Amino acid sequence: MSAAGIRVDGVSKRFAHRVKGEVYAVRDVSLTVQPAELLTLLGPSGCGKTTTLRMIAGFEQPDAGRIFIGEQDVTGFMANQRNIGFVFQNYALFPHLSVFENVAYGLRVKRQPEAEVARAVGEVLALVGLQGYDRQFPNQLSGGEQQRVALARAIVIRPRVLLFDEPLSNLDAKLRVHMRDELRDLQKRLSITAVYVTHDQEEAMAISDRIAVMHQGAIVQEGTAEDLYRRPASEFVAQFIGRTNLLTGRVLSADPGGVELEVAGQRLHLAGETARVTVGETVRLVVRPEGIELAPGGSATGIPGMIVSRTFLGEKAEYQVRMGKDVLQVTSYNPVQRGIFPPGQAVMLHFPSHGIQLLLGSTA
Amino acid sequence: MTSIAATATSGWRRTLRDPGLSATILILWAFLALFILFPLAKLLARTFFEDGQITLANLAAILRDANHRQAFWNSLLLAALVGISGTVLGFLYAFTAVRANLSRAWTTILDAASLLPLISPPFTTAIAMIFSFGPRGLITYRLLGIKGFTVYGLHTTLFSETLTYFPIAYLTLKPILAAIDPNVEDMAFSLGSSRWRVFRTVTLPLAVPGLANAFLLLFAASLADFATPLILAGNSFPVLPTQAYLQITGLFDLKGGAVLSFVLLVPALVVYLLQRYWVSRRYYVTITGKAGAQTAIKSLAPWARAPLLGLCLLVAGVTLYFYALLFYASIVVALGANHAWTWHHYQVVFTEGLKAIHDTLIIAGAGMPLGGLYGILLGYLVAKKAFPGRQTMEIISMVNYSLPGTIVGIAYLIAFNDPPLVLTGTALIIVACYVFRYSPTGIRATVALLQQIDPSIEEASQGLGAGSGTTFRRITLPLVLPAFFAGLGVVFIRSMTAISATIFLVSINWTLITVRILENMTELSLGPAAAFSVLVVLIVFVVIVAISGLLRRFRAAGAVEVTSILGG
Ligand SMILES: Nc1ncnc2c1ncn2[C@@H]1O[C@H](COP(=O)(O)OP(=O)(O)O)[C@@H](O)[C@H]1O
Ligand SMILES: [Mg+2]
Repeated sequence: MSAAGIRVDGVSKRFAHRVKGEVYAVRDVSLTVQPAELLTLLGPSGCGKTTTLRMIAGFEQPDAGRIFIGEQDVTGFMANQRNIGFVFQNYALFPHLSVFENVAYGLRVKRQPEAEVARAVGEVLALVGLQGYDRQFPNQLSGGEQQRVALARAIVIRPRVLLFDEPLSNLDAKLRVHMRDELRDLQKRLSITAVYVTHDQEEAMAISDRIAVMHQGAIVQEGTAEDLYRRPASEFVAQFIGRTNLLTGRVLSADPGGVELEVAGQRLHLAGETARVTVGETVRLVVRPEGIELAPGGSATGIPGMIVSRTFLGEKAEYQVRMGKDVLQVTSYNPVQRGIFPPGQAVMLHFPSHGIQLLLGSTA
Repeated sequence: MTSIAATATSGWRRTLRDPGLSATILILWAFLALFILFPLAKLLARTFFEDGQITLANLAAILRDANHRQAFWNSLLLAALVGISGTVLGFLYAFTAVRANLSRAWTTILDAASLLPLISPPFTTAIAMIFSFGPRGLITYRLLGIKGFTVYGLHTTLFSETLTYFPIAYLTLKPILAAIDPNVEDMAFSLGSSRWRVFRTVTLPLAVPGLANAFLLLFAASLADFATPLILAGNSFPVLPTQAYLQITGLFDLKGGAVLSFVLLVPALVVYLLQRYWVSRRYYVTITGKAGAQTAIKSLAPWARAPLLGLCLLVAGVTLYFYALLFYASIVVALGANHAWTWHHYQVVFTEGLKAIHDTLIIAGAGMPLGGLYGILLGYLVAKKAFPGRQTMEIISMVNYSLPGTIVGIAYLIAFNDPPLVLTGTALIIVACYVFRYSPTGIRATVALLQQIDPSIEEASQGLGAGSGTTFRRITLPLVLPAFFAGLGVVFIRSMTAISATIFLVSINWTLITVRILENMTELSLGPAAAFSVLVVLIVFVVIVAISGLLRRFRAAGAVEVTSILGG
């Protein structure tokens, strides 16, 4: 079966809350997932990722909006009519069924002949590296093995789309990295459309074709990991993806060649920022820790600052640097060659244009 | 949890759209109304209505009788004493079992001796008391040669009920004591406390809610106990359940019985409410989290171990002696007089008593599947489905279980004696009584199991293409099967052993072994009574072994465990 895309169109979902009354868990969310693409919904806990995913699956009905899988409008279909594969955070394996029967369940529901069931289950178990586990029960498996069973159970029915709800969050850190690579690999090999939910930005960046960042029930930005990192559209996204310094500046002048800003009492020139800024306006600046360069104090150019603390990590050193009222995070790569600054030392901070992103308006 | 509230409001419309589900709910409501609410309403009507008028005259008339007032106070006194002595004994027992580093063999002996009374007819101990301390008692008369010892009265009733019901306290307190992390006690030691101080300031306070709960459970059990006082209390110490029984069977005064059972209802209700809304609130907060690293238990001084264990073994010994005596009495001509060996009592049991055995087995056999099914259906609905009146349904389903049997029996007698529904004299009335009185164990086990089953397991099934019927059949049902077996097991056991409610419901057509035992006791044919009791204990034992086997089989397959089929 060739992969089908997903289209989520203006979907909202309210829940009754004991104290707050009706609250929106998801508000007017629209999304398109291309066939065979892996899209990640990324956001902090409680922002509505799971609810969105469950509506795509059919476990929840949206209060407004429509959901399409392929060309078909599946809004109003029950989950068992949508032909989806869902991997739950806690795996949700059937505790009373063996590994084989767990994986076979979806095929048996579809009344496939026994020979076909045995063949398909064997094939999928081999695919996820679980040959010989047929007769084990879920409570006899390790976390990683349970995870594989859950995955095998979801893909054996050849679903049109695969949905993952924080599938790796119950695994230890090492296994998590390993499994996410496997998941990614499998999804590409089967070229199956997938929506992946996580609150872990690193995981999202590692696994996704595209990421949709959610905040308070809405999607605030969509794009590749690089897009989101380099051009966050809001403070929220900037702070959620990677580590960030947020600075305030005032626009001194703006022309096609660049923008002239005043930051911490110093002038700063941003080349190429032809954004629609007005002179005198206050703007926010996103500066990544690795986008700041440190030079010994007393240099002619740059903004003066002082090292507050230092963590040496081998291939890089992380500093906290006081600049005016702010304390900035600065990462310096290859510190052995470039020199290490001790706490208390006066330094000059340089802000190359390519490391700075201007945020317009009062986005949250 | 906010999510529960939300599913409740948004979910019930969906539930009601499902016709099968709505029908099931309606049918269950009809049964609850007919077999729980209706009899109680009739009982209250008998008590408070006269010629279409509300009146307190009936109540006043009963309370004017000094004998009845005495019975009321006696009931409370007995229940309080049993509560105290049973809780103390249960605590010592539990403390010894948990903290004395006993070997498996000792623990097994203690457990066995405490389980026996729970699975026997409630008056087994009382019968053995008569054998030991009665006019021809093995101990008082034969061994000690005491002539004038009176076996009837508060002292023996108290002793017998304590021995019968302390296992409830033991079972309640043991998990609580076991859950107190020894590291907490270690901590207190490391702060320089003495053993006694640790016990007084750490162990005991942590066990207080459990102690209160055990006391209330024992209080309720004693308040409701009918058979023990009937055999042992005698004329000098009337209690409410026996008074109500005599009022009805001796004086044919149904109204008087109804009023007396209403008087019994009041303290029972108070205890129930205390237990449900006060003690159980405090219950879990005191137990510390996960058990820490294993630490040798030091909270029991070496010198205290021997006396504690000795006391427990003494109690266990008395229990075992009673059961041995019961067996012995069933195979000798006349205990205390003629100890020649005979099968005669069993011959009586299997000839004259055959009808009672036959009837009891039919009733227990019919009640068993019905009770099991009713238990998981109702448990499933209240745990998993959102519909209006869900919580009310759960509470109502527990009513007959919480009430003293005497009240339930009299209420059934009043309710089903006249049209619209005449059931007196049928097996159905007894079966219904047992099903609605003893299924709550199955209901609770079902609810507890379902609460451990994550909702995503059912969603996983749905996501794989299964409809709700398939999901229920292939996923939910196998997972709650242990609760089903537990539920039907309890219904069967109680159908074999209970008497307080059904003594009002037996007839010439349908009688019960327990009732025959009681008749034998009053006719002083003690041999057949003993033989009947042995038979019941044996049957119950076999059934329990079979059910534990089934439970173990289904647990082995990965299903969740039901800890005790008798707990709760
Ligand atoms: N069944 C529900 N009932 C009530 N509120 C819910 C329910 N499911 C989710 N919510 C609420 O909706 C919001 C979004 O939840 P969720 O989608 O689970 O967030 P996430 O998966 O991003 O952590 C939360 O505030 C949560 O409390
Ligand atoms: Mg979630």
